[in-house]
Amino acid sequence: MANLLWLQGGACSGNTMSFLNAEEPSACDLVTDFGINILWHPSLGMELGDNLKAMLNKLVSGEMPLDIFVFEGTVVQAPNGTGEWNRFAGRAMKDWVQDLSNAAQFVVAIGDCATWGGIPATAPNPSDSTGLQFLKRQAGGYLGTGFKSKAGLPVINIPGCPAHPDWVTQILVAVASGRGGDLALDDLQRPKTFFTSFTQTGCTRNMHFAYKVSATEFGQRKGCLFYDLGCRGPMTHSPCNRILWNRQSSKTRAGMPCLGCTEPEFPFFDLEPGTVFKTQTMMGVPKDLPEGVDKAGYVKLTAAAKTASPAWAEQDIFVV
Amino acid sequence: MLGSAVQTLDISPVGRVEGDLDVRVDIKDGVVVDAWTQAELFRGFEVILKNKDPQAGLVVTPRACGICGASHLTCAAWALDTAWQTEVPRNAILARNLGQITESLQSLPRHHYGLFMIDMTNKNYRNSPYYEEAVKRWAPFTGTHYEHGVTISGRPVEIYALLGGQWPHSSYMVPGGVMCAPTLTDVTRAWSILEYFRKNWMESMWLGCSLERYEEIRSYDDFMAWINEKPEHANSDLGLYWRMSQDIGLDKYGRGHGKYISWGYLPHEDKYNKPTIDGRNAALIMKSGVYDGASDTHKLMEQATTREDVMHAWYDEPGGKHPYDRTTNPVMKNTVDMNGKYSWCTAVRHEDNGRLEAGPLARQVVAGGTHGESWQHHDPLVLDMYKKLGGASVALRHFARMHEGVKLYRQAEHCLREFRLNDEWYIKPTEQDGRGWGATEAIRGALCHWIEVQGGKIKNYQIVAPTTWNVGPRADNGERGPIEQSLIGTPIADPSDPVEVGHVCRSYDSCLVCTVHAHDAKTGEELARFRTA
Repeated sequence: MANLLWLQGGACSGNTMSFLNAEEPSACDLVTDFGINILWHPSLGMELGDNLKAMLNKLVSGEMPLDIFVFEGTVVQAPNGTGEWNRFAGRAMKDWVQDLSNAAQFVVAIGDCATWGGIPATAPNPSDSTGLQFLKRQAGGYLGTGFKSKAGLPVINIPGCPAHPDWVTQILVAVASGRGGDLALDDLQRPKTFFTSFTQTGCTRNMHFAYKVSATEFGQRKGCLFYDLGCRGPMTHSPCNRILWNRQSSKTRAGMPCLGCTEPEFPFFDLEPGTVFKTQTMMGVPKDLPEGVDKAGYVKLTAAAKTASPAWAEQDIFVV
Repeated sequence: MLGSAVQTLDISPVGRVEGDLDVRVDIKDGVVVDAWTQAELFRGFEVILKNKDPQAGLVVTPRACGICGASHLTCAAWALDTAWQTEVPRNAILARNLGQITESLQSLPRHHYGLFMIDMTNKNYRNSPYYEEAVKRWAPFTGTHYEHGVTISGRPVEIYALLGGQWPHSSYMVPGGVMCAPTLTDVTRAWSILEYFRKNWMESMWLGCSLERYEEIRSYDDFMAWINEKPEHANSDLGLYWRMSQDIGLDKYGRGHGKYISWGYLPHEDKYNKPTIDGRNAALIMKSGVYDGASDTHKLMEQATTREDVMHAWYDEPGGKHPYDRTTNPVMKNTVDMNGKYSWCTAVRHEDNGRLEAGPLARQVVAGGTHGESWQHHDPLVLDMYKKLGGASVALRHFARMHEGVKLYRQAEHCLREFRLNDEWYIKPTEQDGRGWGATEAIRGALCHWIEVQGGKIKNYQIVAPTTWNVGPRADNGERGPIEQSLIGTPIADPSDPVEVGHVCRSYDSCLVCTVHAHDAKTGEELARFRTA
């Protein structure tokens, strides 16, 4: 039995909604089959016989063990570092977050808001929001670079806007079943098992990428979304095309450019005019190139691709 | 124990859109005599959107609320369509509508089992003859129907993923159409998912009858006759919900102002291809409206009549403005003062009708009106129940929400039938400056976005969500917000476990995290706390 507490700060509940789409295990399976005791969750938790504050205080004091503390949403620090713009149970939420993080065996940040600050931290960041241990790519965040939970791990970051339910449930099952020590995290404290491959890995448009055949506008039945429509699949780490969404598809498969939402810079370019759904280029070359590819290499690669491109690549492929 | 002293229950927390909202109720002789609703989270999405790319709303606003993301995307896309004067192909209207519909279908079992029905298993109702069965079916995590209902709620949005890649938080609706171009296999897959949902929940567990039989119900008498027709109906989750809700008195409180708003939704695929703000009302399958219960009158709802008061909200700006004229200036020190400012939520009102309730009940009493176009959707059932039962209640509000399911299912079928797979899905628009407005009905009520694009960037972006209508604080003239008003008259059987307050808040599906904590007025001692959404 592992005690789990899930709180929301500057959140939209999107990660909770995503989590509820899970199957094998479903949210209910986590409770009934995997022995995860959900002490409280803003929309899921059992009715509390006693009052919430008393329970939170018991968790903080250690009287009640807190195995997993899940946080969704940003840590709101406004105004002036007081956090009063997000109060919870009579107190600034940020103060609960500090106390509960100190008491927990594992701290799990779910979604971009809790990991990096996400949309609320987009300039001008009106709520002075930050992630638990990062603000965008800068380490530190709310808890500071030195923070380690009782089990000796930093905050486990499961980014994405939202995070995929399987990324969440599998980490929770790993921790609850005593395999927390097997978790390997990357530099951004993301589980490597999910965030080493790219969004592009497994994309159905990879042949079009290879032959540099572009989807020049939306609603087309062919083409790669990278060249014109701003897709960030080649430089975003996620398993979106390995572990499909809602068991059916992914954004790039459906024709929507990847927004890079598992990376700390999301939303990229702070959504400045001219940057949304448009590939940013300089002299015809994308400013952001596939990871590890330099400009000279890219120019050679695409020139060769164009030359080699077969005639069928320009025809519709995702046909009726 | 209670005597006649006024007891104050502080309900902390319930947000502007999904998040933290606090409620305070004053209780006298076991009945709520006054109430205040407070939104306790400010993220400033309107502030973030200022000076950004005109299309930034397509990325940002679905993330205002992870529960109604498709609804926000719908508003954001139509707002830009009206500002940019685009042409939207019929396939794209259908694809947007289908996304909206599947999000709402998802929410029916998820809210019903995951949030609402848990309260029916509260120990306060242990003397009800329905209690034992209620616990067996609806207890959290372990109830047989809870688990089935919560799990199957993920199915309808699989169709959303076929269109937009994922739910929640896709941005597949864009000015000029949609990003996707579904194929035959997407359509047949979507049909299969719908069928699965119908067979394995709607008919078998929720209704205990076919959709066709349910659709014959056109009046309160028809509904009661349906319940009594067969044990399968009476013992369905709908039948049992209705019977138990009467037994435990959910039909007796939660009334509210008796004034309602719906923006209407689902533009007809052949009637809104050149979208304008003024042309929207006549293009909708589900018509807009304001219904005034006291005078029993309907009229169309117009965006120009929207006003936002801020006397009791933590904003430092002039009140009574139309959203186009708002500046969104948060105060720095958000001290709670029930006589002054006590919420991040503004008090939204109609310039003539004052405070209006948004939500499924509002949609259904509007659907009962004869205003609007003769071809638009009309359904007399809920309005008939409203009149026969003496107005709104917790029981009727939640019934109205669930009643919409069969109609949404039929609209989803319509979209799948009407796609013309070889026609276009997107017509590239020309970006331009201008003002736009987009609206829809999220499952929990009226949602709309106003945008002003100037110099190729966003000058002003304003969102008024259903939660804004419903949980707003008092208006400048003192008129309570809809939930505040609905709480008046609520009986509290056990102040240490005021489940009735939860029933009222949850009947609005206020989409907010809400914990009730009760204080004894004399000692200030905290009595209880619990979650309402």
